[in-house]
Amino acid sequence: MTMGPAPAIDGRQAAPLLRLSNIKKSFPGVDALKSVSFEISAGEVHVILGQNGAGKSSLIKVLCGAYLADGGEMEVDGRPVAIRGPADANALGIAVIYQEFSLVPYLDIAQNIFLGREGAFAKAGLIDKAAMHAAARQVLQQLGLTYDTHTYVHDLGVAHQQMVEIAKALSQNARILVMDEPTAAISERESDRLFEVIDRLKQRGVAIVYISHRMKEIMALGDRITVMRDGAVVGSFLRGEAAAGELVRLMIGRSLDGMTRRAPVGAGHCVLSADRLRTAKLQDISLDVRAGEVVGLAGLVGSGRTEVVRAIFGVDPLTGGNIHLDGAPFTLRPDASIRAGIALLPEDRKRQGLALPLTVGDNTVAASLWRLFRYFRFIPTTARQVCDDLIARLNIATRGPGQQVHDLSGGNQQKIVLGKWLAAGARLFLLDEPTRGVDVGAKAEIYRLIDGLAKDGAAVLVISSEFPELVHLCDRAYVMRDYAIVGHLDHGTLSEKAILDLAVHP
Amino acid sequence: MTDHTADNALRHEALWRRIPGVVLILIAMVAWFAIGNPRFLSGDNLANLGLQASLLLMLALPMTLIILTAGLDLSVGALLGLCGVVIAALLVAGWSLIVAVGAALAVGLIIGLINGYLVSYLSLPAFVVTLGTLGISEGLALAISHGDPIGGFTPSIEAFYRSTVGGVPTPVIAAALFCGLLWLILYRTRFGNYIFAIGGNKEALHLAGVKANLVHMAVYVLCSLSVALSALLLLGRTNSAHPSVAVGMEFEAIAAVVLGGTSFEKGQGWLLGTVLGVLAITVLRNGLNVLSVEPSLQVLCVGLMLIVALLIDRGRKGEMAGAAG
Repeated sequence: MTMGPAPAIDGRQAAPLLRLSNIKKSFPGVDALKSVSFEISAGEVHVILGQNGAGKSSLIKVLCGAYLADGGEMEVDGRPVAIRGPADANALGIAVIYQEFSLVPYLDIAQNIFLGREGAFAKAGLIDKAAMHAAARQVLQQLGLTYDTHTYVHDLGVAHQQMVEIAKALSQNARILVMDEPTAAISERESDRLFEVIDRLKQRGVAIVYISHRMKEIMALGDRITVMRDGAVVGSFLRGEAAAGELVRLMIGRSLDGMTRRAPVGAGHCVLSADRLRTAKLQDISLDVRAGEVVGLAGLVGSGRTEVVRAIFGVDPLTGGNIHLDGAPFTLRPDASIRAGIALLPEDRKRQGLALPLTVGDNTVAASLWRLFRYFRFIPTTARQVCDDLIARLNIATRGPGQQVHDLSGGNQQKIVLGKWLAAGARLFLLDEPTRGVDVGAKAEIYRLIDGLAKDGAAVLVISSEFPELVHLCDRAYVMRDYAIVGHLDHGTLSEKAILDLAVHP
Repeated sequence: MTDHTADNALRHEALWRRIPGVVLILIAMVAWFAIGNPRFLSGDNLANLGLQASLLLMLALPMTLIILTAGLDLSVGALLGLCGVVIAALLVAGWSLIVAVGAALAVGLIIGLINGYLVSYLSLPAFVVTLGTLGISEGLALAISHGDPIGGFTPSIEAFYRSTVGGVPTPVIAAALFCGLLWLILYRTRFGNYIFAIGGNKEALHLAGVKANLVHMAVYVLCSLSVALSALLLLGRTNSAHPSVAVGMEFEAIAAVVLGGTSFEKGQGWLLGTVLGVLAITVLRNGLNVLSVEPSLQVLCVGLMLIVALLIDRGRKGEMAGAAG
């Protein structure tokens, strides 16, 4: 770890504003943070870089008081401090700009900035609106913003809401601002605006912890860049000390050598062929998936992967392009998709893929109910048979069809979602983060299951943020960035490094 | 930078869309009733209209605050009946008016605390909680009165109800003052800000260090206390207390709020819209009265108007209709 001098502010050397030493945090079965050290000075932008699950979020949560560290020391202004909750963090001047904003839609900008602190403007119990708006304008001015402070936050775009959130933090005398992927949901022009604001904040001596996947802005903004992997800091650099390639290499670390690649299966006919699909967000998505093939859809969170499968399944309306299924043009509607044998396993299986309070039996037949009716009568014995078959075939650990899905483990829940579509006779599977939130054992089983699907002749499209998983699982992969496909990697060229090179901004 | 003509057109369109459907309905109804029967615009009838509106206002305005918190209070009608019975029974038993009203306020406070505590601190659904207190209130009112109307108490309440100040009925002035008070609370105090925040993002309020649950509960208490006071208007109008005379008034109160354009989500809405909603409902019922339409048909018409107003608003926000799915 490089310990360079802190950058100069106003011509003098600043002592670190915040120093974390040997911070540890573990959850049952996972060491989220393994002795992480981190420091930031006033007026500095310190970027934290790492893949999903590298420990960035845990570190932020320790910093803002959402998690209590298991061990380690914290210092602010050279004095030891303890952060036991959000109130402690606030008192120390630490504020987090989350992606989900803490704003109230039908209060105006001024009311939002001073929410909970209206007392400062109260005269005989009534709020002095003029004074409040004047104060709000002043805060915004510090950021170089000239919003009408009477505007409802609801009527602002995401980027402007973010600015209000920053203004709110600033008005509480925040000295350390944590920005968690602030550019993930905003346009390039809006990002430029954000960078201007960050510049102003730096001049005012605010320290900024900045998290992003976009190499371009990281290289431009970061006075210091710390790379995390597997809950530990694997490198820390001052501006200009490391090239983007070096950072990416550190971020990935060694490949998962123990994992074997899936043996390629002779691909069959083209099951799905998408040609220049466009939706409100997606730009010209063309891809194809053949029978017996597992194809990856790689990219960082927010690159548009989920939107692609939603478009294919017919959830989001197309504004252009077309889809062929088995070579024939296909009309996109969820019910038509189900009947045509397309299965969608959503990212958020608890909300979109399962009826948690219902039983294993109910859930397994949910996508194939139309097959279980004869002359408007439900055939319970057939349903029972379908369910028993699936429990045996997928090796689902359940007490039986009567058990509530709610009580099953994540891995078994995922198997039921898969099973639901198997029962419906699906032959094209769209899997969105199929192993999110399941333990290692269940992961291996889901990999086997996906492998089995392909061997049985199904076509599979897998989205995953875990690049080793994609390399392990897929015959080939498309890589996305900014709602477009930016590259295709065949079996020979598919590697974590290749995916990352394409997925992060140049 | 932007095309100015397009910009202006957009602004006009926005203004047109901002006029709620209830205003259009109100104008149309007043015109129609005035043409249908000239007596509709007579001073007597306008005073009558104001009297009818004042009681509904007392219920619908605090209901607006509750709906802004993404909640609902179904108990207001039954509680109004209960408070009326409590006041009347105590007066008949010889207690003073102050004691009787104090007792009604205490009843309102208890019901409000029950509603508010269960909805805010225990996060129970407001619909179910207030349905429960509706039953409790109605049951208590029936028990106290043995199901019979209570009459023969001090005429001072009726005298107050019938009195005028400068030709304007006193209850109308009282309701107007109440409206001004709630407007100040909602738009000029931190409590008012927090009401919008509870409906829009209660978590944000927690994070801002505000006792959000306490504020949330206070909104229900405020509503129940207003209901208790409104019982005086009810007694003045009927000059007797009947346990279930006001059951169903929650329907008109909620309808007035919704007509006024307040949404059940995100803390979106405005207090003056509710005044318009109250006027629309009152004008409709009064106008139908003047045209001698049966009361049962009047309720039907209020329901119809509610749905028509929603359809008008939805139709004019054309783009919203498709976006729902």
